[in-house]
Amino acid sequence: MNRLKSLVAAAALALPLAAHAASVELLNVSYDPTRELYKDVNEKFAESWKTKSGDAVTIKQSHGGSGKQARGVIDGLQADVVTLALAGDIDAIAENAKTLPKDWQKRLPNNSSPYTSTIVFLVRKNNPKNIRDWDDLVKPGISVITPNPKTSGGARWNYLGAWAYAQRKYGTDAAAKDFVGKLYKNVPILDTGARGSTTTFVQRGIGDVLLAWENEAFLSIEELGPDKFEIVVPSLSILAEPPVAVVDKVVDKKGTRKVAEAYLNFLYSDEGQKLAGKHYYRPSNPAIAAQFAAKFPKLDLVTIADFGGWAPAQKMHFGDGGVFDQIYSAR
Amino acid sequence: MKITGPTGLVVGTLLLGAQPAFAQSQKPTAEDLDQRIRILERKLELSQEEADKKAKDSAAVSASEKGFSIKKGDFELKLRGLFQTDARIFVDDDGAFNDTFLFRRLRPTFEGSLGKLVGFRLTPEFAGDAATVVDAYFDLKFSPAATLRAGKVKGPVSLERLQSGSAIAFIERGFPTELAPNRDIGVQLQGALFNSTFNYIVGYYNGVADGRDAATRDVDNRKEVGVRVFAEPFKNVGGALAGLGFGVGGTHGSQFGSAVGNGGVLPQYRTPGQNTFFKYATDVAANGDHTRVSPQAYWYVGAFGVLTEYIQSEQTVALADVEEGIRNTAWQVATSFVLTGEDASYRGVTKPSQPFTLGGEGWGAFELIARYGELSVDDVAFDAGLASINSSAREARSLGVGANWYLSPNVKVVLNYTQTEFDGGAAGGADRSEEKAVFARLQLAY
Repeated sequence: MNRLKSLVAAAALALPLAAHAASVELLNVSYDPTRELYKDVNEKFAESWKTKSGDAVTIKQSHGGSGKQARGVIDGLQADVVTLALAGDIDAIAENAKTLPKDWQKRLPNNSSPYTSTIVFLVRKNNPKNIRDWDDLVKPGISVITPNPKTSGGARWNYLGAWAYAQRKYGTDAAAKDFVGKLYKNVPILDTGARGSTTTFVQRGIGDVLLAWENEAFLSIEELGPDKFEIVVPSLSILAEPPVAVVDKVVDKKGTRKVAEAYLNFLYSDEGQKLAGKHYYRPSNPAIAAQFAAKFPKLDLVTIADFGGWAPAQKMHFGDGGVFDQIYSAR
Repeated sequence: MKITGPTGLVVGTLLLGAQPAFAQSQKPTAEDLDQRIRILERKLELSQEEADKKAKDSAAVSASEKGFSIKKGDFELKLRGLFQTDARIFVDDDGAFNDTFLFRRLRPTFEGSLGKLVGFRLTPEFAGDAATVVDAYFDLKFSPAATLRAGKVKGPVSLERLQSGSAIAFIERGFPTELAPNRDIGVQLQGALFNSTFNYIVGYYNGVADGRDAATRDVDNRKEVGVRVFAEPFKNVGGALAGLGFGVGGTHGSQFGSAVGNGGVLPQYRTPGQNTFFKYATDVAANGDHTRVSPQAYWYVGAFGVLTEYIQSEQTVALADVEEGIRNTAWQVATSFVLTGEDASYRGVTKPSQPFTLGGEGWGAFELIARYGELSVDDVAFDAGLASINSSAREARSLGVGANWYLSPNVKVVLNYTQTEFDGGAAGGADRSEEKAVFARLQLAY
């Protein structure tokens, strides 16, 4: 019996040691334009985690249209954390895969959005089609590049931004629907994600205007030079709140909860917030946001709350047979 | 991206027929046309990306002469099969043996992998009066040098036994196979080292009678250890010695009891015509150690091949107060020559240069084969009264000749003649009559 006890004790001692020595791997399933942000975040977090815990952590990234990514997680992609374009996509994971609670958004500050962004227009240098506001996008002969709202979170923000503008200006849902319908008649290609649309507009030279995440627009100018593109800030846009969440069932199964939670909390740290600002996301921490204030134009913003939240907005506009299906099939 | 060929044709057609959303004027400007071309190119690009992604995400279904496969990444299911129909005629036997048509093997095989680590194989047999399982195992593939295999497998002893049933030169294997285990149930570690020039198997099994198959569970609560090493040192060098392989296999364990045949512990030795010519007397029982050793080699060079092996099986048996270690031996030399110039190999002629086509020029591949072998039972078995010379032969010697016709990689026709003579085995200690067997086979394998 004593020998058996010794064996059990040795095993009990050895297990934590083995666990301590093991390196950890996380999978961050994110949306299209966050590649550069999370490349930086992952590197800095790994250094920070190594210092704090002594463990090595490797974070794998997966990017694509936010809706498509959510579908992948629902279908079994083992994401430790999701950092998607909109809360509706994480709601869909909670609803369909039941791998995190429905109130996931309450677990982190600012509705679990460590940074925000908005939608702006990217046009070619000197704005040859003189595009100044949403009304210009529905004019005949204007070619608008925006991704597919069925698969892209950014595209849904674009769509809702246009809808909010039209509703405020013309007063009714019917008028807004007509306006958005005209806008999509001017869209020659629907990419599946925001990065694809950026490629269409920037690399392939298609279209007069790209409806873009603010960070994506800045990045295009930074990479290709201000001599090729410029940003047009519309009179009204929408506050995009890309949220983040730990996928409970996955981290509990893999034993990665502690590091996954630390990873998301890192986004709220001063260092994480500065990285967000560096990559043209608007930091949620007012003090850090103030340091980057000069970068970001001030503009009038509606929020998803103006649409009653993501659940009704999703159902009305982007569900099967919703407004988007109606206007797009009528093209 | 330049548009040429069929893509250009598609783009041209679309340009003529399509009315992009942004175009409003009847006469498009050069800028409009440029945009249309760019849009069409981008749409093609996106379609290709989508198609590539779908192809990546989809399982690939393939069919070839090697069978059928469904594969996605490291997950694969393969369906293969081996079907053999024989005509078996005994000459000058005065009706002692039935001439018959029979199914020798009706074996579909399901094999594949579940990720990089796990492989599996399941081969049922439908040729007997009842369906049985021939092979059933799974592998844990740690590396090419170390795979753990558990289940029902071929015993790691006889060279010809380890050869695939579709590739053996003759319709039935030779005498050494009668002294080696057929399939056994257990666990074995196997692998290939030094660029696959050296192979090893180390296993732990229930233990079976010479030449026979395993029962579903161990009949005597005793186990057997098996080891085989085999080298092909010039395999990667090329030249005349590239097809030279040699090694040794063996088992050691203990067996108790008097059960015979499949699932038993005592042997009944058969001729290449599959007629039993030796068995122990009634009430003889296995009673201790059982050790087999088998040095073996093959050499294939060009169209010529030779396979040879020797085996010794020593088993302690007892009858009442008599206990003896009975040492039986067997050996054979089998040669083959491919008349049509294809390479001979341990796997047979795998691909005829000109497969048979009805009314065409191709006739497939032709191979001539010859084999001589002997099986000797220890004299002690007869001297100690453990076997009767009046019903069991002390020795059998067999000469076989034949031809194989490979119509295609999947179809083979075999014709064999074997003549076997015996020492003893008939009434009064006389020699048992010679066995003259003409066997023919039609084989389909994929």
